[in-house]
Amino acid sequence: MELFLEQLPIVIRSLNVGFLQTLKLFFVTLIGACPLGLIIALGSMSRFRPLSFVTKTFVWIIRGTPLMIQLLIIYYFPGLVLKNPIWGSGETGRFVAASVAFIINYACYFSEIYRGGIQGVPVGQEEAGLVLGMTKSQIFFKITLLQMIKRIVPPMSNEIITLVKDTSLARIIALQEIIWAGQAFLKGSQGISGAIWPLFFTAFYYLLCTGLLTILFGRIEDKLSYFK
Amino acid sequence: MSILEVEHISKSFEDTKVLKDISFSLEKGQALSIIGSSGSGKTTLLRCLNFLEQPDAGIIRVNNEVLFNAADPSTMQESQIRKKRLHFGLVFQSFNLFPQYTALQNVMLAKELLAKEQPDYKARKKEIHDAIEAQAETLLKQMGLADRMTNYPHQLSGGQCQRVAIARALALHPDILCFDEPTSALDPELTGEVLKVIKELADQNTTMVIVTHEMAFARDVADHVIFMDDGIILEQGEPSELFENPKEERTKQFLSRFTQG
Amino acid sequence: MKKRLAFLLAAGMVLSLTACGTSTDKTTDSDAEQTDMAYVQEKGTLVVGITDFAPMDYKDDDGEWVGFDADMAKAFAEELGVEIEFVEIDWDNKVMELDGKTIDCVWNGMTLTDEVTSAMECSNAYCNNAQIVIVPVDVADQYQDVDSLSGLTFAVEAGSAGKEEVDALGLKYTEVKAQSDALMEVKAGTSDAAVIDSLMAAAMVGEGTGYADLTYTVGLSSEEYGVGFRKGSDLAAALNDFFAKSYADGSMLEIAEQYGVQAAIIEQ
Repeated sequence: MELFLEQLPIVIRSLNVGFLQTLKLFFVTLIGACPLGLIIALGSMSRFRPLSFVTKTFVWIIRGTPLMIQLLIIYYFPGLVLKNPIWGSGETGRFVAASVAFIINYACYFSEIYRGGIQGVPVGQEEAGLVLGMTKSQIFFKITLLQMIKRIVPPMSNEIITLVKDTSLARIIALQEIIWAGQAFLKGSQGISGAIWPLFFTAFYYLLCTGLLTILFGRIEDKLSYFK
Repeated sequence: MSILEVEHISKSFEDTKVLKDISFSLEKGQALSIIGSSGSGKTTLLRCLNFLEQPDAGIIRVNNEVLFNAADPSTMQESQIRKKRLHFGLVFQSFNLFPQYTALQNVMLAKELLAKEQPDYKARKKEIHDAIEAQAETLLKQMGLADRMTNYPHQLSGGQCQRVAIARALALHPDILCFDEPTSALDPELTGEVLKVIKELADQNTTMVIVTHEMAFARDVADHVIFMDDGIILEQGEPSELFENPKEERTKQFLSRFTQG
Repeated sequence: MKKRLAFLLAAGMVLSLTACGTSTDKTTDSDAEQTDMAYVQEKGTLVVGITDFAPMDYKDDDGEWVGFDADMAKAFAEELGVEIEFVEIDWDNKVMELDGKTIDCVWNGMTLTDEVTSAMECSNAYCNNAQIVIVPVDVADQYQDVDSLSGLTFAVEAGSAGKEEVDALGLKYTEVKAQSDALMEVKAGTSDAAVIDSLMAAAMVGEGTGYADLTYTVGLSSEEYGVGFRKGSDLAAALNDFFAKSYADGSMLEIAEQYGVQAAIIEQ
C-alpha cells in the first residue's frame, strides 16, 4: 500500500502525459476526418463515373485493411521504399504520420455514414422544396441538412467512441500515447518496474472519455428527437 | 380564355416513351381530372407541369405566357424555372411534409423564404411575418386543422398530413393546383376527409389538375376528364359523357373494372 | 466526350505518379553512393533507437536519457562530431526503423542473435549477458537445475534469446510481446516461469522492486550485447574503433561502474 501511494503520483503524471497525446490524436483526427469524409462521400456519389469509381476503390482499400498496417505503411513506406524518410524520427514526425493515417482511415468510415445520411433523406423532400419555389441552397440548409444530421448522429457517435480506443494503435509506430505510458512501468521506468496496475489503470481514462462522449451524443440525439 | 395550354408534350426515359404528343387546355376556375391505369403517364405529365421533369418536346403556356418550349433553350434557365414553378402547386401522393417543422411552419416556410427576397423585408420583418402566419392559420382552419397547428407531421394521421400539404401548396396562391393521387397513400377511412377538402376547393372555383384513381370523386368534382393510356390522351370530355358513354374500347375496359369492383 | 476526357485525366495522373516514382529513384541512386557515416554527419544528428531499459537506457529524474548504453552513445556522437537524439521505438519494428532511416542505430542492450546479425550491420560485442529462469520465490527451491524445469510452462519474449533457449531445451512456452510481459505472466500465475536477460533481472526482480515475490534461479546460456546499424553501414567499424579506444583509456569501464555493469563488460 505504501509502495502504491509512492508510485501513484509518478504514474498519474506519466499517464496524463500519455493521455494528452491520445486526446491530441483524437481531436486532430476528428477535425481532419469530418470534412475529408464529406469530400469523399460527395466523390463516391458523383455521377461522374471515373471519380466515383476511384473514390469507392479507395474507400474499399482503406476500410478493407487494418489500421495498424496503414500506420506502418504511412510511417515507414517513405523511408523504406522511396528512400526519403519524410516524417523524421522525432515525436512530432510520428504524431503527424499517425494523424495522417487516422484521418484517412476515419474519413473513409465517416464518408460511408455521410453517404447513408444524404441518401437516406427521401427525394420527395427536395421535390417538395422545389415546387414551393425554394432554391437548392434553401432546400439544403432549411430542409435536408437537419434530417441528414439526425440520421448520422447515432452511427457517428459509435464511430467516434471507437476512435477514442483506436488511438492506442498508434503505439505501433512508437507514438507514446496512454497505453504506451502504462506499459512503460511494466518494463521499468522512472524507478518503477514490474508495476502492472498502471496499464490496467489506463482503462479509467478511456472510460471517462467515452463516458463524456456518450453523454454528449445522447444530448444531441435528445435534441433531435422532436421529429421523426 | 384558357389559363393552361399544353401542346405536343413528349417525354422519354431511356428508351421508354412515357408521354407521346400530349395536348390539352384548362379554363380558369375549372377542375380537370386525369384518370388511367398505372404507367399510363399521368404522374409524369404532372411532374412536367411542375418542372420536376423536362419534356423532350412541346410547349407549356400559362395565361398566354410561354413557360416552357422544348425548342427554345432560353425557357429552361434554372434561375427562371424557380419563378415559373410558382404558377403551379403540387400535392404529392406521399405528402412530403418537412418532418422537422410543425404543421404551421410547414405552411409558412416557403412564403417566408420568398418574403426575404422583397427589398423592404428588413424594415417590415415583423409585419410580414405576422401576415404570413395569419394566412397560414386561416388556411389550416379551412382544412379543419385548427387544433393541430403546432403538431409535427409524425404526430398527425395520414389524412391530416395531406390536408397540411394542401394548405402548404395553397399558401403560395398558385394559378393551378395539381394533385398527384392525393389519397393513394391513405387508409380508406381517411380518404374521405381529403376528398372533401378538394371538393370544397372545387366549389370555390380553384383551378386544379387532379390525377386520381377515385372514379366517383373524379366524376363528381371535375369539369373535364382526360383518360390517358400508354402515354397518349385516348379520350376526353365532360365527366357525364366520358363515364357514362365512353367511345373507346380501352376506356370501357378501364371503367368497367371500377364499376364492378 | 466527358468520359474520354476523364480517362485521359486518370491516365495522366498515373503517368505523373510513375514519373515521380522514377525521379525519386534517381535521387536515391546518387544517395546510395554516400556512406552512412557521411549521411549522419551531413544531417548532423545520430538518431539512436532505444526502449526504456534500465540500466542500459532509461530516463533520469530530469527526464534525460541515461544508462550505460545511452552514455556510451553520447560519447560516440561526440567523437563523430554530431548531435545525439534518442527515440523510443517499438522493439518489433527496429529493422524497419533502421532501413526507413527514422533511426540510425539500435543501441539498447541488444543480444547478438542470428536474426539480429543477419538483418543489421552489428558492432563487436561489448557486454555479457545471460538468459536466466524467473520463478516465484516460494517455489524457487524446487527449480535449481535445468532438469527440474521440464514440467513448467514458460513465458518468453517473442524473438528473444530466451525463446531460443527454451526452444532448444524442448520446454513448453508461450511467446509474449516483451520481457516485462513475461514477468507479468509469472506474477499473474498465467505462466509458471519466465526466461529473461540477467541484466534486466538484476534491475527488476527481487526485493525492493515491483517483482519482490519473484526470483531468478538457473542460468540457461550466456550471450553478448552489440549495437546494430543499417546493413552495410560503415558506422559499425567506426564504433568498433571507438570501443577499442575507450576500453583502452578506461573511460568505458568508468561509465560501466556508474551503472553497476562493469563485471559484464567485454574486453575490446
